[in-house]
Formats: sequence, structure tokens, C-alpha cells
Amino acid sequence: MTEKPNIFDRLAPALLVLGALLTTAAFILNFTSAPLVQGALLPDNGLAVIGGQVVTNKLLLSQKIFYFHMPVAVTSFVALLFTAVFGVLFLVKRNSHYDLMAKVATEVALVFILMTMVSGEMWERFEWGVWWTWEPRLTTYFILMLLVIGYFILRNAIDDAERRATYAAAFGIIAFIDAPISLMITRLVPSGAHPVIFRTDSGLSTPMLIPLLLAMFGFFCLAFALYRFRLRQQTLKARLDALKTNLED
Amino acid sequence: MTATEPTPRATPSVPTATATSAAAATLTPTATRRPSTFRQYRILLGKDLRREFRTREMLTSMGIYAVLVLIVFGTALMQASAGFDVLPVAGGLIWALIVFTSLLGLNRSFSHEKEEAALEGIMLVPLDRSVIFLAKASANVLFLLVVEIITLPLFYFLFLSGSALAATFGLAIVPLLVGTIGIAGVGTLLATITVNTRGQDVLLAVLFVPLVFPLLYACVAATSVALLGGEDMMATFGPAVALAAAYDVIMILVSWLLYDFIISA
Amino acid sequence: MTEVVEKTSAPVAAAAAADSALEVRALSKAFGTRKALDSLSFELPTGAFLAICGANGAGKTTLLRILATLARPSSGSVSVLGCDIKEQPDEVRARIGFISHRSMLYPDLTAEENLLLAARLYGVVEPQTRVSELLAAVELTARRYDLARSFSRGMTQRLAIARALIHDPQLVLLDEPYTGLDPHASEIFDALLATQRASRSFVLVSHDLRKGFELASHLLLLNRGKLELFAPSAELDFASFSQLYYQTVGG
Repeated sequence: MTEKPNIFDRLAPALLVLGALLTTAAFILNFTSAPLVQGALLPDNGLAVIGGQVVTNKLLLSQKIFYFHMPVAVTSFVALLFTAVFGVLFLVKRNSHYDLMAKVATEVALVFILMTMVSGEMWERFEWGVWWTWEPRLTTYFILMLLVIGYFILRNAIDDAERRATYAAAFGIIAFIDAPISLMITRLVPSGAHPVIFRTDSGLSTPMLIPLLLAMFGFFCLAFALYRFRLRQQTLKARLDALKTNLED
Repeated sequence: MTATEPTPRATPSVPTATATSAAAATLTPTATRRPSTFRQYRILLGKDLRREFRTREMLTSMGIYAVLVLIVFGTALMQASAGFDVLPVAGGLIWALIVFTSLLGLNRSFSHEKEEAALEGIMLVPLDRSVIFLAKASANVLFLLVVEIITLPLFYFLFLSGSALAATFGLAIVPLLVGTIGIAGVGTLLATITVNTRGQDVLLAVLFVPLVFPLLYACVAATSVALLGGEDMMATFGPAVALAAAYDVIMILVSWLLYDFIISA
Repeated sequence: MTEVVEKTSAPVAAAAAADSALEVRALSKAFGTRKALDSLSFELPTGAFLAICGANGAGKTTLLRILATLARPSSGSVSVLGCDIKEQPDEVRARIGFISHRSMLYPDLTAEENLLLAARLYGVVEPQTRVSELLAAVELTARRYDLARSFSRGMTQRLAIARALIHDPQLVLLDEPYTGLDPHASEIFDALLATQRASRSFVLVSHDLRKGFELASHLLLLNRGKLELFAPSAELDFASFSQLYYQTVGG
């Protein structure tokens, strides 16, 4: 009953190495070739008080976190896209393997969401001067984290495997749809409560773009390798459990 | 290894029927004509309303709970100075009240369906199963609205009687309606899921609050500006209500599509 | 023009066009590595009374829930009274009644309201008349305005029968209907069943071997999702049936 590992499983170790190399390269370029940029563009002569701290638009080293933070955030969202897609596939085909794939994709998403939160917190502390503000993207990611944690709590609360898979698929889909709406609403509904500190100079110069893209591609590779390793481990575990039950019978 | 006496039986047996009257034997064949989907919706909604009208189970528990939340609000604000104006945070407090109260009601809304497996009886009927969702969500909207009609004047009396409400305060009805519909829609879907899980009450809250967060955000903004007024009030009110309505449409559509899968699981 | 000669020798005058109540072909139900039902095939004629026996976890309830369209099969085909459960689930639902050890009633509605609710959902043409007739049949006319909550277990079960028969189903599925019934109540239940046997087909899931054997015209024995036996009960005596049961289950 030995089954040949499929092409993705054979690729996974290579992707892991590639991802590690790419992110390392991005990390080095980040500090060597990418120029420093101004911090938040603030209205009154580049001075603002946020959370009792004076924030200026000086050149910030902390902006380097951005090269890590943004690719990780994008990767986590892509992982959630996989959760939703596998959820739809499961509901249509009723094959338990899609449920396992959705679960593993969500696990990867959770890892990357946590990294996003941590890096975002550091960036925010140094750039905006506060540990927490109900800023749209930050809030969205906080909510997303709660949704993903909720996904696992839901899975743990159901005994019947088929019912668990169905509910998890449905919740994965609805959570994935909820996230962009959350970002849109927090962003588009004006609020007078806190200063709007969006970066307006979104154009990135080539020396900045290269490490960013390298890091992004690198994290994609890492996430995919993680996903395949975990999926293989879980598949083998499921088969082992089945063999054990057969033995007991 | 059996200790049973052999009881040879050549023919399939019919149990001796003596206990019931002869009337039972002659059930007349009956014709059925499948009702329209809308009629089935009305029958199911009518069932929930009749049940609630008789037991007042959800309305009483939600009403009492809402009053308790108001007491907690009062306690929380107790130490503020005498001239403290609740108005700027009133929108937020109102929605906190609605979210907590609706959680309680949503948790209850499927318990009587499970008590004697009545929901299975409904699923054995030839009907479009998303009708079950629409009927239950409609019932939840109605129950929530009744509770809001009772508790919001009380909220005004307890917290806002000294404040100068803006002339536009009546507009707050719009986000209240839009928000209540969204809460009932998403909540009904999630309650169908959590009624079949361990620790259903907590789980509903864990799934429900992050999922309705965008709606809550928009509704709090719209309600607050409606109560506060101001010149550029419409600049916030308009987009907030529009986005809340968009949330309702998308989420209820998705819930409606997913419902057959969920209820059949 | 083909000449159709009606010559029903069977005591059954079922209105169904189909001549088999159930037609099950290679039915399997599996999820992941767990197989609940493994490639079952059998055919049950209309008017028959099938008893499904087997130990806990043999797949009896799963099979019954698939027949009732409450669960979906993984593979294979099932047709109930000539209607495919995947292609025409609503046709199947209109033709079956389901009685389980849970009553499927709303305790806070009266007996009459419970029946009327079902009658209206099924679209029974004259719901009031039908409800009165069924209440009389299960001898609950005097209690029609009482809440289902106030009923004893036996009365609840009778009301559940009335609910299941409200749309005149041609096939009635029974899932452990004797659970929780005292001897007297189950006697009444048996008698009620007996009055209905002439006009309908039945499928009964039961732990009780002897009861199943006594009632049934056909027997089906399940063991770990596999079909061990499907035979008309006339071909078996109880001793050999129970011996087979203990061999497979105790095996």
C-alpha cells in the first residue's frame, strides 16, 4: 500500500530551501540597497501627537519591517483563499481529503497571521508611536485572526467527521468573504476618532521593489512547503489511525 | 451460542390487532398538492411566532437580559462626573446592548427545534431548505425588533434624557433596521451550526462577534452621527449605511447559498 | 395497444406505479477511512415489511437516514418507490413517512397544531378533515387542544405516528420506535402498525430480534456496514435467524 509521493511532495523540500534563500536575500537587500524612506506623512509640518507621543516624519529604520510585514500579510491571505477554495471543493465533492487540505491551509494561514500581527505591532509602535490603534488594516487583521481561531474552536467542538468538515468548510468560506468587507468598511466609513495616517507615496522605487518581491515570493514558497509537509504528515497520520482501528477490530 | 427456543414460522406474521378501534383501520387515502415556497415560508414563520406568542421564552429572556446590560452600563458610567454626556458614546452602547441581547436570543432560536428533533421533521417535507433559513431569520428579526422597541426608549430614559439629541436622531432607525437584519441573517446561519456542537453558547459568540464586526462598525458610526448631528453628518451616515446594507446583501446571500449544506450535515 | 390485465394476487393495493418499494444498488457510505455502509444491494417489493437488524454501529440508522433523504450516500444508487433519492429527493420525501424514538413534534404546540403544521407543509388538500381523522385513528381526539409537552411517552408516540402518516406516505420508516415505550404502549403501537400494513410498505430498524422477526416479511442483517443477509422471513425460522445474528455479531 505504499503510495508514491506526488510531484508537490517531492517539490516541497526544494521550495523550502528556495524560500529560505529568497527571504534571506531579500533581508540583505533590504538593508543594503533599499533606501530609507520617510515615516508617516503627517499634516502639520510633519508633526503629530499620537497616543501622547510626538511623531515626526523623519527617516525611519523601522520601516524596514515593511519588507517582512507586507509579504507575510499577503501570504496569509492567500492561504485563506486556499481554505475557502478547498471548502467549496469539499461541499461540492464531499471528499474528506479536501477537508484536510482546508484545515492545513488554515493552519498555515494562522501562522502567517500571527507573524503579520507581531511585525505589524512592532512597526506601529516605532512608526506611529502607539502599540494599538483601531486602524483599518490592523483591525481587519485582528478580526481575521479571531475568525481563524474561531475556525479551530469550531472544529474541536464537533465529533462527527463529516459534519465537522461541512461546518468548517462553510465557516471558512464565509470568513474569507468577511475579511475584505471588514477592510472596506473600516476604511471607507469616515471616523473622527483617530488621525488618518495613510501612506500616500505608495510608489516604490526599483531598489525597494526588488527585496519586497523577493521576500513575497520567498514567503509563498515557504508557506507552500509548510503546507505540503503538514498535509503529508496529516495524511499519513490518518492512514495510521485507520490501520490501528482495523487492527483493534 | 444461543439459548433461544426455535419458533418455526412459515409465513410473515401479522401482530394480533385488537387494541385499537376499527376506525384506525380505515384511513382514507388523501391527496397532497405541494404548496408554493412562499406559502411554506409563511407556515414556518407562523409556527415560530405562535410558539413564541405562547411561551414568550425568547422575548422575556432577551428583555430581562437587555435590562441587566443597561444596569451594567449604568454602573460602568457611575463614576463619571455629574455633567458627563453619554451622547457621544450612545451609538456604541446601543450596539453593544443589541449584540449581547441578540446572542442570547440566537442561542435559543434553535433549541426547541432540537428538543424533539422537530427540525428533522421539517426536513422530511419536500421543500427548498433555504426556506427554513429565511423563515427562522425573519422570526429572529421580528423578535429582535420587539426587544429593541422596548429597550431603546428605556436606554434614552436612563442615559440620554439630559442630553441634547440632534434633530436627525430619527435617522438612527435606518442603521438599527439594517443592522438587525444582518445580525439575524448571519446569526441564524451560525446558530444552526452551533446548536449541533459542544459548548454551543460560547461557540456562537466566538464565531458571531468577529463575523459581524464590519456590520457593527458601520452601524455604530451611522447611529452615532445620527444622534450627534452636525453639518457633515451625511458624509459619514450615507457611506456607513450603504456599506452596512452591502454587508447584509452579501452575507445573507452567502448564508442562503450555504444553508442547505449546513442543515443537511 | 397492449392489454393490461390487472391481476393483483397480493393483498397489497399500493397506489404506487413502482413495483418495488426500495431498489438499492451498490450503496456505500464512507467518510475518510471510515466506512459506514459497504456496497449494499437489495430490492424490496411494495407492500413488504423489512426489518433491519444489526449490532450498534452496524450502519442500520445510517441506512435508514439515507432512505429518508436525511443523509447522502457516497456512491451507489437508491430508488424509493421508483424515485431516485439523488435526482428526485422531493418526490421521495412526498412518499415517505418517518417515525423515530424522537417524536419530531413541537412540545409547545398542541396536538392539533402539530398535525396541522405538518399537513399544511405537505400541502394536504383538506388539512382540517385529515387532522381530525388521524387524531381519531390514534385516539387522541379528546386531547387535541392539549400541548404535546403534557403527553405521556405513549401518547407522544401515537401523535408522532399521526404526524408521519399525515400525507398518506406509501413507505413508512421506523427508527427504533419502541425505545422508551412501556409494554402497553408498544402493544397499541403494534396494533396501529397492523392496521396500516395493508396499504403501505414498512422499513423497521430495531435492536429487538424477535420483534423484528415477528413483524417482518423480509429480513436484512447488517454487520459493520456489510450486508450479511437479505431474505424473506418465510424462508427462515427464528432460531436459524438468531443463530446467524449471533454468529456474525459475536464472531
